[in-house]
Amino acid sequence: MRYLLKRLGHGLLLLFGVSILSFLFTALAPGNYFDEMKLNPQISPDTVTALRARYDVDRPLVLRYGKWLDAVVHGDLGFSFAYDAPAAPLLWARAVNTLILTVASTLLAWLIALPLGIWSAERRGGAPDIAISSATAILLIIPDLLLALGFLLLAVRTGWFPTGGMASVGFAALSWTGKVRDIAAHLALPVTVLTLSTLPVLVRHVRAAISSVLGAGYLRAAQAHGVPRRTLLYRYALPAAANPLISLFGFSIGALLSGSLMVEVVMSWPGLGPLLLEAIQARDLYLVIGGVMLTAVFLAAGNFIADLLLYWADPRIRQP
Amino acid sequence: MKITNQNRRKVYAWLIVLVGLHLVIACAGFFAPYDPTLQNRERPYAPPMRVHWFDATGHIHARPFVYSQQLRAGSFDEYEEDKSSALPMSFFVSGSPYKLLGVIPLHTHLFGAGETQVFLLGSDGYGRDLFSRMLFGGQISLLAGLMAASLALCTGLLIGALAGFFGGWTDEILMRVAELFLALPWLYLLFAVRAFLPLSVSPLQAFLMVALLIGAVGWARPARLIRGVVLSAKERDYVPAARGFGASDFYLLRRHILPSTWSVILTQAALLIPQYVLAEVTLSFLGLGVPEPTPSWGNLLASLQQYSVLTSYWWMYLPGLAMVPFFLGYLALASALQTSAEGSKI
Amino acid sequence: MAHERAAHASSNKPLLRAEALVKRYPATRGSGARQEVTALNSISFSIYPGKTLAVVGESGSGKSTLALCASCAEKPTSGKLWLEETEVTSLTDAELRAFRPRVQLIFQNPASAMNPRWSAEDIVAEPLLIADTARKARIGRAHELLERVGLSAADGPRSLSEFSGGQRQRLAIARALTLEPKLLILDEALSALDNSIAAQIVNLLLDLQEANGTAYLFITHDLTLAAHFADEIAVIERGVIIEQGPTAQIVRTPRDERTRALLNAMPALDSTRAAQRRS
Repeated sequence: MRYLLKRLGHGLLLLFGVSILSFLFTALAPGNYFDEMKLNPQISPDTVTALRARYDVDRPLVLRYGKWLDAVVHGDLGFSFAYDAPAAPLLWARAVNTLILTVASTLLAWLIALPLGIWSAERRGGAPDIAISSATAILLIIPDLLLALGFLLLAVRTGWFPTGGMASVGFAALSWTGKVRDIAAHLALPVTVLTLSTLPVLVRHVRAAISSVLGAGYLRAAQAHGVPRRTLLYRYALPAAANPLISLFGFSIGALLSGSLMVEVVMSWPGLGPLLLEAIQARDLYLVIGGVMLTAVFLAAGNFIADLLLYWADPRIRQP
Repeated sequence: MKITNQNRRKVYAWLIVLVGLHLVIACAGFFAPYDPTLQNRERPYAPPMRVHWFDATGHIHARPFVYSQQLRAGSFDEYEEDKSSALPMSFFVSGSPYKLLGVIPLHTHLFGAGETQVFLLGSDGYGRDLFSRMLFGGQISLLAGLMAASLALCTGLLIGALAGFFGGWTDEILMRVAELFLALPWLYLLFAVRAFLPLSVSPLQAFLMVALLIGAVGWARPARLIRGVVLSAKERDYVPAARGFGASDFYLLRRHILPSTWSVILTQAALLIPQYVLAEVTLSFLGLGVPEPTPSWGNLLASLQQYSVLTSYWWMYLPGLAMVPFFLGYLALASALQTSAEGSKI
Repeated sequence: MAHERAAHASSNKPLLRAEALVKRYPATRGSGARQEVTALNSISFSIYPGKTLAVVGESGSGKSTLALCASCAEKPTSGKLWLEETEVTSLTDAELRAFRPRVQLIFQNPASAMNPRWSAEDIVAEPLLIADTARKARIGRAHELLERVGLSAADGPRSLSEFSGGQRQRLAIARALTLEPKLLILDEALSALDNSIAAQIVNLLLDLQEANGTAYLFITHDLTLAAHFADEIAVIERGVIIEQGPTAQIVRTPRDERTRALLNAMPALDSTRAAQRRS
């Protein structure tokens, strides 16, 4: 329990640090920002004055940080100039889509990587191992940008999959199952690309972790006792290798989030990625900061889930 | 010892492959038939031209040749080969001047076909030769990756060594700062910092900015690894032994600690360079990196974001494949380095 | 037996004298409470030039801490240490540097005390490198020392991995001799070696002592070895010296219960004792 609280505290401290940096970014160019805005004919002078008052440009930094933090905790992530609307709802809607993509890819990737890695480790040096190693090597050397573009090209020229967006034109009129199938069809390509880009690293690490466990004495003893192969692998070897694999899980979340950013933009999946890109091009400050902070929260949450898994899987951590 | 020798040969082999690949890119002026910014408004979006040895009558030619391209009747953007006009290719031809490796002024190119341009990989919307742009684009992307990796590794080495060697508060503070940098997914972190830099800058400024940005942001992971190596080197008894002979901190760092980080640094370099090249490519692809008309592997692929290009002009994808041999080389080198590092432990 | 040999003209003044050395370490337990471990609790001893003092104890008795304090690798929490009339415990690090060549430490694990990437001659010559001696002179001296410890100058360029455990310990001794120390502290230096190899090293050490008049502080858990090697023995347990005296006295007439227990645990030292036990 203590361990979990310590990890939670650590994660919160980290988010706190990120929030300070984010705030400093917003505070560092306030005057210029608002002056620039005054020149922008799309934003009314009243909005500018209201915003200036709201962000207390002339008050001391610490007070402004306090006010800003209070707003953030209450769900107010600032104001989007480009959309002329509060940033939080915009961000949140997109964030959900990013989560759908990322979570689906993570589950699929691990679902494939675990059996493949275990099978490879078991048949070390054999034909399946060599085949899987070659396949992962090939995937590794293809940059994920090329993978995404390649699949997009494929989709366009074969017409087998929708090439963008999350829903078809007639989405609202579909039945419940129809809606699910439609989203799944749109999700298929982005998830495939993201899964393929993370798969090789996962498979290699699973293989390495299981290999190192397979040689252990207690496994051979169990085998001599007549424990069936599948039980040996999944109920003896896998839990023993859980420790490094769970660390790998935590480690891979960051890479997955970055990958999803690129995949969303290339395949037009309406997640945080395209929104952030637009925001940068439109110099929409608060939208960028809000989006970046949200991803920090996701990463911290993912790491905390990894800590939870470790706590559950490794009894040594529960001891004082 | 046997493992190390065999492995050493592997390391050198891949190193030679990589040097060769880089040399080709470095001498892009020679290998590319045309200037990358040379536009040909009469042949926009031309498909790749096929090189033939046999002509329509089955007759073999002494020199390879291409058929000139003509617009298909009734189409405004589809080309076909004009079988009546065979253009022989020559090698070591004289063409537009360039500076080899930025220094030596030359005007000899590897191949060409006289007045008509040979588009080995096709042309883009402005009629620019994609093959030439791919080679020159490699210069930008590879150099950016190399510079960024050097910056990240030097910074990481400095901070990791200081944190590991001196420990205490130095270590705590430096590692907390590193954690902050690792608290965001790398592409989002790049985005965040990029957002606060001016959007439209000259190609040179953009190139430097991107290289510096990627390097300045990527020091945290190498720093942690190096700190680990320094910590374990510090634990070894040869440190107190040397102190017993009167060694100073500086001596210990210089003669014992830092040399032990060498293998980690090399392996990290082999892993980070392709990652950072990809980072530059991704940024340029999204319009946040090196802008037109300077070619980078990223902005070469950028036009693929348009639906029309995806459906009709698939060859615009080909320049991206240039990354693959480099990734192969670097990753194979990293793998060989890692194996040899494990083999040399006592 | 060592104590029966004709020794060098020993002076009356001790080379190294320790007075009431105390060393405490902070230690945290899992629950977070801070506790202090007293490794050395008021230790006093003297080592005379050209003589060998053996400190015998079980693991955890504080022997290694003693080695660290005696070699000035660590400062004691309280107490004083004199090296040839100078009180070294009150010196600063910079002042101490001048005294370092006089006392050298040899560790139990020779492999970890030497940089595996360096060649044998570089390892042996390292003290001269730190003293900024020219390369030719350094390597020449290294070769000289290699010969002295029973290796050959041709072994110089070889890397550490090519040497066996016993040979590595010879390298460590050669390196320690580079600065011509007056005292060599051997912290369980023979424990990791096979008995026959250890015997060879002991003979080497005895020869060097006869030739150079080096004093030894020999730290071990093996009382038999100590008895063969040392002029004086001190028995240490839990940071306290429970018995101290000339070897013959300790072995034949131990005064403390615990010393007797240690003796009984060892194989018989001479035929009379073996006969005693058998009857």
